[in-house]
Amino acid sequence: MYAVEPSTRQPVDPGPQIPVPALGGRRRRQRLAAPYLLALPTVIVLAALLAYPVIKMIMLSFQHVTQRDLFTGESPAWIGFGNYAAVLADGFFWTVVLRTIVVAVVCVVLSVVVGLAVALLMRRVAGWVRILMTVAMMLVWSMPQLVSTQVFGWLVDSDWGVLNWALDKIPGVDYTNHSWWINPVQGWSVIIALVVWGAIPFIAISLYAGLSQVPRELIEAAVVDGAGPAAVFRGVTFPILRPLVGIVTTLSAIWDMGIFTQIYVIRGSKPELDYYNLAIYAYQEAFTKSHYSPGAAISILTVILMLGVMAFYVRQMFRIGDAD
Amino acid sequence: MKRRIAVAAALAATLLGAAACGGKSSSSSDSLDGKGKTLKVWLMVDAQTGWPAVVDAANAKFKADTGASVTVEYQQWTNHLTKLDATLSGKSVPDVIELGNTEAAKYVFNGGFADITDKKGSFDNSADWLTGLSAPCESDGKLYCVPYYAGARVLIYRTDLFQAAGLKPPTTYDDLTADAQKLQAAHGSDPKFSAFYMPGAYWYAAMSWVYGSGGQIAQKGSDGKWKGTLEDPTAEAGLQKWVDLAKTYSKGDPTKNENDQDAVFAQGDSAMLYGNGWELGAVQSQHQDPNDPNSPMVDTAVKGKVAAVPLPGAAAGQNLPSFLGGSILGVAQKSKNAGLAAQWIKDFTGTSSQQALLAKGALPNATNLLDAAAQVSGNEATAGAAKNSWFTPNAPTWADVEKANILQQALVNMVTGKQSVDAAAKAADTQITSTLNAS
Amino acid sequence: MAAPTQRMRPVAAGRPAPANPRRHRHLGSGTDPHVGRSRAGTLVANLAGLVFAVVMAFPVYWAVNTAFKPVNEVETFTPQFVPRHPTLANFASALNAPNFLIDLRNSLIVTLCAVAFGLVIGFLGALAIARFRFYGRRALILVILIVQMIPFLSLLIPLYLTLNSLGLTDSLTGVIVVYMVLVLPYTVWMLRGFIIGVPRELDEAAMVDGCTRWQTFYRIILPLTGPGLVAASIYGFIQTWNEFIIINTLNDSDKWNLMAWLASNQTLRGTTWGPLMAGATLASLPVVVFFLIIQRNVATGLTAGAVKG
Repeated sequence: MYAVEPSTRQPVDPGPQIPVPALGGRRRRQRLAAPYLLALPTVIVLAALLAYPVIKMIMLSFQHVTQRDLFTGESPAWIGFGNYAAVLADGFFWTVVLRTIVVAVVCVVLSVVVGLAVALLMRRVAGWVRILMTVAMMLVWSMPQLVSTQVFGWLVDSDWGVLNWALDKIPGVDYTNHSWWINPVQGWSVIIALVVWGAIPFIAISLYAGLSQVPRELIEAAVVDGAGPAAVFRGVTFPILRPLVGIVTTLSAIWDMGIFTQIYVIRGSKPELDYYNLAIYAYQEAFTKSHYSPGAAISILTVILMLGVMAFYVRQMFRIGDAD
Repeated sequence: MKRRIAVAAALAATLLGAAACGGKSSSSSDSLDGKGKTLKVWLMVDAQTGWPAVVDAANAKFKADTGASVTVEYQQWTNHLTKLDATLSGKSVPDVIELGNTEAAKYVFNGGFADITDKKGSFDNSADWLTGLSAPCESDGKLYCVPYYAGARVLIYRTDLFQAAGLKPPTTYDDLTADAQKLQAAHGSDPKFSAFYMPGAYWYAAMSWVYGSGGQIAQKGSDGKWKGTLEDPTAEAGLQKWVDLAKTYSKGDPTKNENDQDAVFAQGDSAMLYGNGWELGAVQSQHQDPNDPNSPMVDTAVKGKVAAVPLPGAAAGQNLPSFLGGSILGVAQKSKNAGLAAQWIKDFTGTSSQQALLAKGALPNATNLLDAAAQVSGNEATAGAAKNSWFTPNAPTWADVEKANILQQALVNMVTGKQSVDAAAKAADTQITSTLNAS
Repeated sequence: MAAPTQRMRPVAAGRPAPANPRRHRHLGSGTDPHVGRSRAGTLVANLAGLVFAVVMAFPVYWAVNTAFKPVNEVETFTPQFVPRHPTLANFASALNAPNFLIDLRNSLIVTLCAVAFGLVIGFLGALAIARFRFYGRRALILVILIVQMIPFLSLLIPLYLTLNSLGLTDSLTGVIVVYMVLVLPYTVWMLRGFIIGVPRELDEAAMVDGCTRWQTFYRIILPLTGPGLVAASIYGFIQTWNEFIIINTLNDSDKWNLMAWLASNQTLRGTTWGPLMAGATLASLPVVVFFLIIQRNVATGLTAGAVKG
């Protein structure tokens, strides 16, 4: 049970109180300064580069900034919560919010479930098959996201696509000239497939590594007790894997809520309204329509929304941190 | 517009005389002594892939004139405005900027470009500039940018398929649909056969049908407010015709735009195509190395089997108006070398440059040059099409309508049948009206 | 059943002897020898594994396949699974294209520097958060989490203005700094998990044995968080390697990275697919090399700390 122990470990004394013998006054002062010195570079870098842009973005969201203001440096009008009110009152915004969440959930669930299945499969197959699987996943990883997106777009293209060609080979099925982008459900299926395809290597390889830390004694004991494979997974493997599954799930959630490149590139940098998620929406508002202020408001609402979705996780992070 | 160019022509010798203009000397504040200075120029990729020699020649002339050197940075159409917006809000801006003519008004209106009214006379052919290019450069009687080159669209058709079906190139729109009908029937067994290939999001094409029926995209009222007018009966009649054509005679993906239509046409399964003049060449052969304009050409399946005519309108001799796309060049408001920048634009858009551009397949920036282009064999269609052209509403925020895909979205909805023509037109009008009146 | 020593992970074997109690466990990496296995079951599993590998690799194959096609075979109604007239012209084109090699070099510089600096700074920050209690610690954790959620593209213009006023636009330094900020929160967060995973008893034991704080860090914490550094560097690498919008906005084309170069192959005259795919294939090579180098550590690196979450 070593693998899970640290996370369930009882809180030990917090750092500064570690009973270290012979701490002189000078060393003690050093000790107190230590965390600040360690954190300083992180804080400086984040503050130097992000403080101004983030504050600027927050200001933007309360102003009405036009392109003219931007170019000439004229000071824009302050309009309070006007941008937020307008965005929140727009039904389309809520459609996009809902769509963003649904897509993220589907992506996360599929990536994690398939990733876990692949990890389990890797334990089951012969060595050479496992090597092939690993190589395939590393190839996926090494392919520039920009290009893999274009290739996916191409594979489902109505004129050049391999997918339509292959489906058309099935007797009685006519996929000639079929467009995958007319029906948004089909279109999103392609995008989700692309996202999941790109996410599987990370998840499968992590979980596979996690699986190799499951103590064999436990599995053997369970088998001796007459547990079948499913029962072993439920009773032994998964509980040990759970913290890792939690991590990849939250990470995927953060990433999948913010899918941008895949949608933007696969729709030829002109995504239709049906293919907007929050990241695309904010970008289109701010940059293609030069509505910088509503764009900033949408971005800030996105962060708030994600924080809300992640509230549980944030609490857990504090808890873990405090425990140590 | 963004896009390309049209195959054009050499110039009549007389034009050279007409164009040999003298620039009036620039005002004292804009020093033309550029020794040790470097001018930064942002051009679009078309110059890099299409006519790098023209750029080099202009740079050499400029260097000789002023002593300043030039660095040219090539931009991509897909995301150049994002980069431009960020850059123009900072301190280190490029001195000369190329924009599509439909993008220009936004930057003219919002103070992105410097006022170059007093230099207008110094630019070659400035009296005869194509209105579609120069109109968005003007605001309150002042000039903020200079036309660079233009393009127009024509009907590209398969001579062999027309001959086999006993057809002649259409001269009226009714001819065209009748021909399409026959061709479609003759090739019914080919599931990829399009008598007229027309992708659904090809709004430059669809709007030609609108303007050809007497409609327009939007209109400015006497109160100064813009109003989307696609739901007007004339405009809707044009849209309906276009939708019928796309639905009946095209197997094209209704969600695609025109980006890969040349490759589709080159497969040999389409009989007609509405494309830029230069696409007549592009469907027949491609450079072996697309990045090297000097590499050998590779022929496609339709090599030598295509020709172009202006897209016919209601009656013979009456063409459907073509969208007049093109590019303009402006001096950045924040440029520290405004005088030099204007001089470079003068060198780059001079008649000799235009002449070289025509040879590389662009339409000129002025009407007087257009006449000559039309006289060159093989390019009559494009130059002819440019004479009857339409242009997007000259509103400061027009580019936002384009970038927000309002028209593409409406057209796709019409062709896929998600909305009726009327409903989609009305929905588009609402968005166009609010976008054009936004500040 | 294989001998236990053969199942030991190479990482554990190759690690210097000092205290690594967690590694004394079974870290069997081969197939589970137990849990009801049948011959048919293994066959089905192998088959499924092969199908998976093929499906995953197919898009990559298609890109490479296209890279070898001459221009008139790239787009065809009937897909061609093998180039009829294979050619290296696309690779030549990519290599000869303006800025390809320069941007490749930029990619390597920018990515490696951003990841390396991010690791150093992030490690210190993670150490502070994981091992100390101090005023502002929770705030720092929260900030680091939120920064990960900000859609970075919405900061584009303010970011540009900030760098512009610092004189860091159109320079690799500016991009390195931005990318470092991009990977820093993730790095801190990931490494924090690994450092927490190092039992504090080890620190204490070392200090009791007379190690200085620095020695404790150097001898105990650093080696034990090695896999975490590997994991964090992989993600940093992938994230910065794939970025193209920020660098395109900040810099001119001779200071782009390879992704921005690839993106610029998409012109409105049509995408130059052949050279694009050839360029992408070439661009993947450094990543493959990177993975080959650290490949043995990948799996351990990804898990060891994460399990502690």
